Amino acid sequence: MTDRKTPLLDELEKGPWPSFVTEIKRAGKKSAKAEDLLGQLEKSFEDKTGYWKHGGIVGVRGYGGGVIGRYSQKGEEFPNVAEFHTVRVNQPAGWFYTSDTLRKICDIWEKHGSGLTNLHGSTGDLILLGTDTSKLQPCFDDLSDAGFDLGGSGGGLRTPSCCVGPARCEYACIDTLDVTHEITMAFQDYIHRPMWPYKFKIKVSGCGNDCVAAIARADFTIIGTWRDAIRIDDAAVKAYVDSGMDISKMVVQKCPTSALEWDATNGKLTLCAEDCVRCMHCINVMPKALRPGVEKGASILVGGKAPVVQGAMLSWVIVPFMKLEPPYEDLKDLITRITEWWDEHGKSRERLGELIYRKGMRYFLRDMGLEPTPQMVMAPRTNPYWFWWPEEVNKG
Amino acid sequence: MVEAANPEIKDKVLDYLHKVPKAKSRDIAATLDIKKALVDAAIKELANEDLVEYLYIGTTYVTLKGSGEGLPKI
Repeated sequence: MTDRKTPLLDELEKGPWPSFVTEIKRAGKKSAKAEDLLGQLEKSFEDKTGYWKHGGIVGVRGYGGGVIGRYSQKGEEFPNVAEFHTVRVNQPAGWFYTSDTLRKICDIWEKHGSGLTNLHGSTGDLILLGTDTSKLQPCFDDLSDAGFDLGGSGGGLRTPSCCVGPARCEYACIDTLDVTHEITMAFQDYIHRPMWPYKFKIKVSGCGNDCVAAIARADFTIIGTWRDAIRIDDAAVKAYVDSGMDISKMVVQKCPTSALEWDATNGKLTLCAEDCVRCMHCINVMPKALRPGVEKGASILVGGKAPVVQGAMLSWVIVPFMKLEPPYEDLKDLITRITEWWDEHGKSRERLGELIYRKGMRYFLRDMGLEPTPQMVMAPRTNPYWFWWPEEVNKG
Repeated sequence: MVEAANPEIKDKVLDYLHKVPKAKSRDIAATLDIKKALVDAAIKELANEDLVEYLYIGTTYVTLKGSGEGLPKI
């Protein structure tokens, strides 16, 4: 390690929280790339500007995605970060690793790159930060031998991701891990050969708590739900009351659709299933007394995205309930039809939600063969983008 | 995803690629006036048959096998 001084970065080590500066310094003891990274970062703070160039044509044989080119504008001053490419590795569904696997990945990355990682990127991939163009192929070969594949980048399918699902969570209404694995395997080509107008993200949450924020981030959102009614264990409800919980205040009054009623005299909680929107609040507050129903499946939503062309959009419902059972043919068919439609009509850098917004929901629903349903309306008086076709209007 | 490619479309794609150094499948579909998903399927089979190859230059292009020499590719 050099005796480089980094007074501005050192400020980011103060306080009780973990510091990425401390971690880069630690890596810098073994890696010249990490050491030069600190130097360039300190310079950026001094000059109040970034010195990274994004892009360039870098990759590995047979793949159009998975590697993001990064070059330093200060390559002469910091030669070890002149090339500092990022490798995205497709994470296992639910991010379950053994420590042996993590060690294997880190060993490969210390051999071929800076040793710096970002677990995980916002799409969910394992991000390996900083290597040279000449080391990309050997790195990929080693990763491949260890059983890993690259994730998505550019205008194509991004690595599908999901919550931990039934592996760790009692609320999961679908096998998020299996769905994600199946989708990844079925649509591999679209991950590795980006040929769509822009990125396309698929995320899978096991219940309405939506722990992977699929509704806010995914173009195609799968959220576990149930079709019947929440199951209520009266004895467990009583136990909550006996322990001092104010059920009326904590649960019933907070139900967004007033679907719950509390009979304090008889200690009876009742649900009007037709009014329940499966928001999960009551179940979260009283997990021992309330459970999702037994007829489980998923709601399918489309159009979520962060702001670029249009502002940020939340996904909206297009299929209120779909049974999700292997081999998920209905789901795969819907994904295929939607991505083909978007690929056919989308402009460059236009996400699915923006295309639906531009063309109109009724064109989208017609081309998908979906009937409009009340669940597609986000809230009362929200414009559902639906207008009658001229031939359907009775002008008499 | 279309599973089996139409042989006629494969021939049309090959004919078209003889006329240009490289092309995006979207542009091929527009020129030939064929649904892009069908063109994608044809290209995929042609690539498996080693008759065309993919080029990744910002986005994905296709070219006749061997004719992309000199173009940046991975």
